[in-house]
This record gives sequence, C-alpha cells and structure tokens, in this order.
Amino acid sequence: MTEPHSDLLELAVPYALHAVSDDERGEIEGRLAQLDRPDADAFYDEVRAVRETMAVVSAVSASEPPADLRQRLLAAVADDNVRSLPAPQPVSTGRGWRAAVLAAAAALVIGLGAVGVGIALRPEPAKVSTAQQVFGAKDVHTVSGAIPGGGTATLVFSREKNAGVLVMNDVPKPAPGTVYQMWLVDNSGATSAGTMDDKAVTPSTTAVLPDLGDSKALKFTVEPGTGSTQPTGAVVAELPLA
Amino acid sequence: MFVDAIVTSTANRAVRLRHDVSNTWTTALTTAAADLDALLRRVAQRDTDAFASFYDATRSRVYGLVTRVLRDQGYSEETTQDVYLQVWRTAESYDPASGSAVAWLLTLAHRRAVDRVRSEQAATQRESRYGAASVEPPADHVADAVISEDERRQVTACLDGLTEVQRECIELAYYQGMTYVQVSERLAANLATVKSRMRDALRGLRNCLGVR
Repeated sequence: MTEPHSDLLELAVPYALHAVSDDERGEIEGRLAQLDRPDADAFYDEVRAVRETMAVVSAVSASEPPADLRQRLLAAVADDNVRSLPAPQPVSTGRGWRAAVLAAAAALVIGLGAVGVGIALRPEPAKVSTAQQVFGAKDVHTVSGAIPGGGTATLVFSREKNAGVLVMNDVPKPAPGTVYQMWLVDNSGATSAGTMDDKAVTPSTTAVLPDLGDSKALKFTVEPGTGSTQPTGAVVAELPLA
Repeated sequence: MFVDAIVTSTANRAVRLRHDVSNTWTTALTTAAADLDALLRRVAQRDTDAFASFYDATRSRVYGLVTRVLRDQGYSEETTQDVYLQVWRTAESYDPASGSAVAWLLTLAHRRAVDRVRSEQAATQRESRYGAASVEPPADHVADAVISEDERRQVTACLDGLTEVQRECIELAYYQGMTYVQVSERLAANLATVKSRMRDALRGLRNCLGVR
C-alpha cells in the first residue's frame, strides 16, 4: 500500500475485529471504494488474515450450546422460505467473498417472528382494503428474503385477489440519486411495479402491489434517478412468487 | 490472573508445539475446512441434513464465541440461532476462493454478538462484568469432538505468548466489543498506540498459529 493510504491500512485490524464504530466503518468502506485495486487488496488481505486467525483462536472459547437449541433451529429452517441473493459485487474489487461478507456482516436478518402481519397492517388509509383482501384470501402466501445490504423484504400475496402487500423491515435507504425499483417478472420480461426513494424507505416500509398478473417473481434493483423502464442496476433481491 | 512462571513455560512450550503438533491439527483443520465448504454448498441448495451437519461441526465455536462476548445465556442462544438462520439464508454468498468457511461463519457470529452487546450497552450503560486482560478459556470446557485438545492447547499457548498489553487490547476490542477508540479511552493510551498493539497482537497470533 502506498504511503497516502497507510493510515487506512492501520485500521484494517480494528475493522476486521469489528472494533470500529458504524460511522467509521462507513467512512472506511467509502475510502476503500475510491482506492485502486492493489491498495484496496492490501487492506482486504489483512482483514482476511485477521479473520482466519481469529477463527483458529475460537478453539479456546468453544463451548457446547444447549441441546434444545439444535431442535429449535432445525425446526425454524424447515419452515423457512427465505431466499437471499449474493451481495452485488463492487466494481473496483473482484473478490466475491469480501463483498459478500461485508454485506452479510452488515445485514440484519430478522428472526422469523419479527416480520409480522401487524406491521403490514399499519394504517395506510388508501390501501387498507387491498391489504385486508390479501390477508383474508384463502390462497394467501408469504415469501421473504434478506436484503444483502441489511434488512428483510416480505411479500404477502394472493393469486385469487391478484395483489400483494410488500413489507420491508430495516432496509437501508437507497444511495442519494438512486431509487429501489420493484419489478414483476413474467415470461415476457420485467414490468415496473414502482419505485422507492430515500424518503419512501423507512425502518418499516409497506407497499401494495395491485396487479400481479402471471408474474413469477418480484425483483428489486437499484436504479439511477427516479427509476428506469427496464432493470439496469444491481439486483438486490428476488422473491419467487410460488 | 496470569502466573508469570507458568506463562513463560507455556510460551516456551508453544515454540516446540508449533513444530511437533501443528502439522497434525492443521491437517485435521484443512480436512474439516473442505468438508465445511461442501456442506455449505449443499446448504445453499436447501439441504437440511447438510445444515444439521454444518451446525454440529461448528456450533461449539459459534456458541462459545457469542457467549464470550455477550456473557448471557439467553442472549447467546438467540444470537446463535440468528447466526445460523443467516447461514441458511445466505450460504450461497460464501465463496471458498476468498476465505475459509469457518472464518466466514465466525465473522458473522462475532459481528452479531458485537452488535448485540453494543445495543444492550447503549440501552443500559451497564458496567462490564469482566476485568481487562482475561483472555482465558472457560474453566468448565468439556471434551469436544470437533476441536482437538492439541489445537486448544496451542491457541492458549499462543495467546499466552502475547504481551499483557496486547492481550488486554484483544480482550477489550474483540471479546468485549469495544471500538479501538473506546479501548484507548479505557486504557488512557493514544489511538496510535492502541492500533499498533492490536496489529502486533494479531501478527503475533497469526505467526504463532501458522495462519497464512
């Protein structure tokens, strides 16, 4: 690493040990994104070595969890339909694991119980009736996905009512100048199902999708400006409508 | 807590152990690593049997680390469950070319434990129940099918081989979830000193353990 970045490299160990504040972590990642490949690689190589080392060190703190934790966990995954896509990879660096770990480490995958119908039914006067119809439908389905940058998207939908209610919990706001765009994907391609800008995305965001048609999936991308006519940006999540 | 004479003799023994023993358990660890990679690929395909095997192979490391940070059984069980749910949901994002599965897993686990301890501390401003510089294995550990006694002994020896101030930094930053800025405040040491202690500690451990 060249001299101007040595102060950044000094932070590789604290960064790898999660010993920086959230704000400083954001600053570090912002600076890394601006660096040339070899400089960024020096940082990430150090991070990787620290994490491999601490993985070996974990032998000394090992202790057996209670046996019933295993039962609870296996029961939880047996019912879990969450699908999560690999994190979008940064352009400047080629290491998938690194991007994925940064994103996964930041991700806040909420426990199964946390995504509640109660949140979805938070009063939204113009939309309550569609939501109620969906939740009351005989063929109501729920599909949920962890957003790699943090948070969870859950879609409750009914084919019979041809509608869905999307609940997003703790999903970070889109970067300035971009929006999240939702796409309903069917055999003939992707149709925009709306956008969310930084003001629309709150710790608990709901949206009604009034016309599912024959769509097979709900896809989320990051799009520039106020949105696109066809998906162009990174896919942040995809929920199968099955 | 450390008796100097014992620390010294253990540290000396570590040097010999590195030659005598490390090949044995490093080989065991490498084999286990390949197995874990294969299990994770199956987990990504929604294979619940593979998930159960992955859990069994790693649970004591994850639960032990989380417990070491959180020091509360209830929180630790919740956090451990969250960690493995995250594994279930994000297994396909793991790329074996860029690091070991166990490092990937323990990074997730440590991140979650630290987030939890910080949010609890923010909520209650509770005092740490542990003093500084006590990087010690739990006294009540039982024989573990996954982690060999040799491995555990060598890691202990390598930790003992650090200086007191290096151990203190690892304890506060890694096991108590402090930021390096908080560590510097706690120790009344400047930031550059704390950063270099942490770096030296990790370099020492890495060399002692033969991590490449």
